[in-house]
Amino acid sequence: MNWLAHSRWRPILYAFGPIAIACSIGVAAEGDANAGKVKTRMCAGCHGISDYRVAYPEVYAVPRLGGQDESYIAKALRDYRSGARKHLSMQGMAASLTDQDIKDIAAYYAQGGTK
Amino acid sequence: MIFSRHMIVAVAASLACTVSLAQVDEGIRKKAEETCGSCHGPGGAKPAMPETPKLAGQQYEYLIHSLKAFRDGTRESPLMGAMAKPLSDADIISLSRYYSSQSGLRTRY
Repeated sequence: MNWLAHSRWRPILYAFGPIAIACSIGVAAEGDANAGKVKTRMCAGCHGISDYRVAYPEVYAVPRLGGQDESYIAKALRDYRSGARKHLSMQGMAASLTDQDIKDIAAYYAQGGTK
Repeated sequence: MIFSRHMIVAVAASLACTVSLAQVDEGIRKKAEETCGSCHGPGGAKPAMPETPKLAGQQYEYLIHSLKAFRDGTRESPLMGAMAKPLSDADIISLSRYYSSQSGLRTRY
């Protein structure tokens, strides 16, 4: 890197380097469905069982997630995490998720519906 | 005599039920498409905006639960709160039955 640091290209490096880094982070921050598959193991206990019903606070069948809109799943998880959307077990589940976890999980569940 | 009179009556009655159910479904379909379709898409299968859920194939009980929660304000959403407010229990049941019977969402393992 010595040649670069002392070359006439240095201003360009300083100008565009941060942009290049920001772009690469941007790419990495997209949801990864393969990573999401591993991260949904804790979801599968309820959402991975067909017609599974929760009993508290009310008895009803948990939502199907396969094929759901990706940005909707991400929003739901962010809202559970912040407490804007309230459900005791889902708030507990979402509390441990990072932004990247949420994107990966949303990408995974967005697959798998019928067209 | 394989077909007794009772059986004929039973078959006729069940046919009549099927016809009336189909009529009800057409009314529900129209109401659903007019009320919910502009955001959730035709059949609830193709939302028009990001962060809007698909409804096609969603669990019947979950749809009922959600609409009631929007209606009574326990699930907060200015838009869905306003949409759900005028719905009767019977409306909620019909709309939930309509969207849960569409093909779309699946349980993902």
